[in-house]
Amino acid sequence: MVLGFTAAAIAMLISVIPAGIVIARGSLPAAVVGYEFITAVAVMVLVLLAQAFQRPSLFELAVLLAVLMFGSGLVFVRAMERWL
Amino acid sequence: MTAADVFSDVLLGLAVVIVLGASLGVLLMRDAAQKLHFVTPAALVAPVLVTLAVLVQTGTSENTGESCLALFFLVVAGPYLSHATMRAIRVREP
Repeated sequence: MVLGFTAAAIAMLISVIPAGIVIARGSLPAAVVGYEFITAVAVMVLVLLAQAFQRPSLFELAVLLAVLMFGSGLVFVRAMERWL
Repeated sequence: MTAADVFSDVLLGLAVVIVLGASLGVLLMRDAAQKLHFVTPAALVAPVLVTLAVLVQTGTSENTGESCLALFFLVVAGPYLSHATMRAIRVREP
């Protein structure tokens, strides 16, 4: 049970690498897209690790990040649209 | 290993395949508008599968409730954020 969730979390962390390459080397809009991708994956990784290690309190981090993803994503998008 | 473990692992495997495929799409597509299409599977489909895996594994518990809450925020925020991002891309790259 723990192994499956941990392995899934590690595999999803590996998927962050291509998006990181896009952020480092791509254009500004592409970097914002990469940021949104990584944030969505990070929410899932937090859920998977909380379940894997049986820590119910850690689920709150995932909920918090999901809420912050919305606000921070909009901030980046608006800044890109108006000033950058 | 119970049937719930197997079903949960299958759901997690599907979620991982979707996320890995989406990450390759984000890397390989040419412009930001095309890359944005590959965020949706990772931000909407895969979280549903992960939440279902938690539900199968633990039943109706606190863990499942908090996973559903995170999923709710992802599902609500995802399309709105994608729309705003696409609009900003259009403004920058007409």
